[in-house]
Amino acid sequence: MRSVIDDRNSAARPSLALAMRSLLLADSIVLLRSRVSVVLSILLPIVVLVVTTFGKAQSRLGGSDLVIGLALILGLLTSCLLGYSLTLAHDREMGVLQRLRVTPAPTWMIMTSRLVVQVATNLIASAIVMIVGTILHGLSLNAGQYALILAIAVLGAAMFLAIGQALVGVVKSSTAINAIGRVLFVILLLLGLLGGSGILGDTMKTIGDWSPVGALMAFFSSVLSQATWSAQDGYSLLACLGYIVVFSFIGIRWFRWDAQ
Amino acid sequence: MREMNESVEPPVLEISDLRVAYGSRTVVDGLAFRVDRGEIFGLLGPNGAGKTTTLSALEGLVKPLSGRVVVNGVEVQRYPIEAKALLGVQLQSSSFQAELSIEQIVKLYAGLYGVRLSRAQIRESIRTLGLGEELGKRFKHLSGGQQQRLALFIATIHNPLLLLLDEPTAGLDPQSRRTLWKRIEKLRGDGSSIVLTTHSMEEAQAVCDRVAIIDHGKLLTLGTPAELINKHKDDPEVLAVAHGAVTLEDVFIGLTGDEIRD
Ligand SMILES: Nc1ncnc2c1ncn2[C@@H]1O[C@H](COP(=O)(O)OP(=O)(O)OP(=O)(O)O)[C@@H](O)[C@H]1O
Ligand SMILES: [Mg+2]
Repeated sequence: MRSVIDDRNSAARPSLALAMRSLLLADSIVLLRSRVSVVLSILLPIVVLVVTTFGKAQSRLGGSDLVIGLALILGLLTSCLLGYSLTLAHDREMGVLQRLRVTPAPTWMIMTSRLVVQVATNLIASAIVMIVGTILHGLSLNAGQYALILAIAVLGAAMFLAIGQALVGVVKSSTAINAIGRVLFVILLLLGLLGGSGILGDTMKTIGDWSPVGALMAFFSSVLSQATWSAQDGYSLLACLGYIVVFSFIGIRWFRWDAQ
Repeated sequence: MREMNESVEPPVLEISDLRVAYGSRTVVDGLAFRVDRGEIFGLLGPNGAGKTTTLSALEGLVKPLSGRVVVNGVEVQRYPIEAKALLGVQLQSSSFQAELSIEQIVKLYAGLYGVRLSRAQIRESIRTLGLGEELGKRFKHLSGGQQQRLALFIATIHNPLLLLLDEPTAGLDPQSRRTLWKRIEKLRGDGSSIVLTTHSMEEAQAVCDRVAIIDHGKLLTLGTPAELINKHKDDPEVLAVAHGAVTLEDVFIGLTGDEIRD
């Protein structure tokens, strides 16, 4: 029996590179065709950027650094928490994942392809939002700062994708995931914005600052306001990495490929 | 000649003592059978008998409690990727990405199975499927039968050694059914083996070399359709349901009872 497998070992495994390329192409097409998700993750932030150029909204929200940070976060949050997790849950329910899983493509590859395409899209969307934002709000950043913002956007995407993955891991039905995803969206935003602002008291401020949106927000605004690296940034980074580790673990540990 | 071949080549599929449970419920209970090269093997049984679950264990979709599944000498549990490369699969309930077109789906799955097809080859194969008009149509806009035809084509895209078909003729019109049987015959001619499930005893009797009838996850009987008829034609349960010459359907109902399953 061994000899058979040894003979076949190299010949019987289809090319991983070809499989990965095919998956990436297919996942990109699927993502681009889900217009709602693409439009929401670019248009919604831009609307926020445009609206805040009028009147006093900006100063009330706390300066253009915060507004651009908020816009970037809105884009990431919609496409990761609502877009990615819903598509995944839907594909699981329809048996798309099962069909992929009976092919010789390793399972990690099926998931990795989706995540790579998702992060790449987030990167492009964030770049657009960032450029529009700095133009509309008259900020001039150097190349290093632009790169830093994009790096933080990738960090944010990873964090929200991990949260989305955990959601799909813990909850089975796509209807429930849809509903919970929306509630989570609002809670995370409120926690990060209101909590972080200090309106709700000191305890809430601490919780808000350490929350996913709060930590990311602090990060964005310290780069956008051209502040130097501070201890607070270190904590924010730590918080983001912590969330990524914890939620990825939950999302991988409890993930089920079939909906039953 | 055949005996010599058998001593050299491992069977295409060998299942021994297969047990699968969902939670505390055992739905495949000690199943064992083998399938030889070039054989069309029918897995028959009432709704809920455990046919799809058995196939899922072969495909590596569920982890069996016990037992071994070996495809052409490759143990599925230990070498899932190598085993999957040998399998062509059509699942009873699954779907392709709704937003992809037929052409994109063919391209994706060709890539996943390591088959390099040119654009012209892809289009040609889609045309022979009778889906030439629908080339750019998204999967979600295809009719049920068209989706089924595509699924069957994808299952054979890499000329698999072993083809697993779960109710392949469900939802097909008579023309497509015929085309399907022709394709299956052709694949068999090229050296593939086929394991299929069906609820049409007529179909099973006509196309399967051997059939296994299972119920509650247990093997009730196994053999060529003619052997089974011969073996069970005098069973009182079979005689009670037969009108005239005993058919495979009479044997099936005789062995599995005539009440409807939930
Ligand atoms: N994912 C699952 N979780 C729990 N129970 C399941 C699951 N899949 C199947 N079952 C149960 O296992 C039993 C066998 O199901 P299976 O799908 O294998 O039957 P089948 O022979 O393919 O039936 P059919 O002819 O209706 O397709 C059924 O009682 C079914 O309810
Ligand atoms: Mg079934």
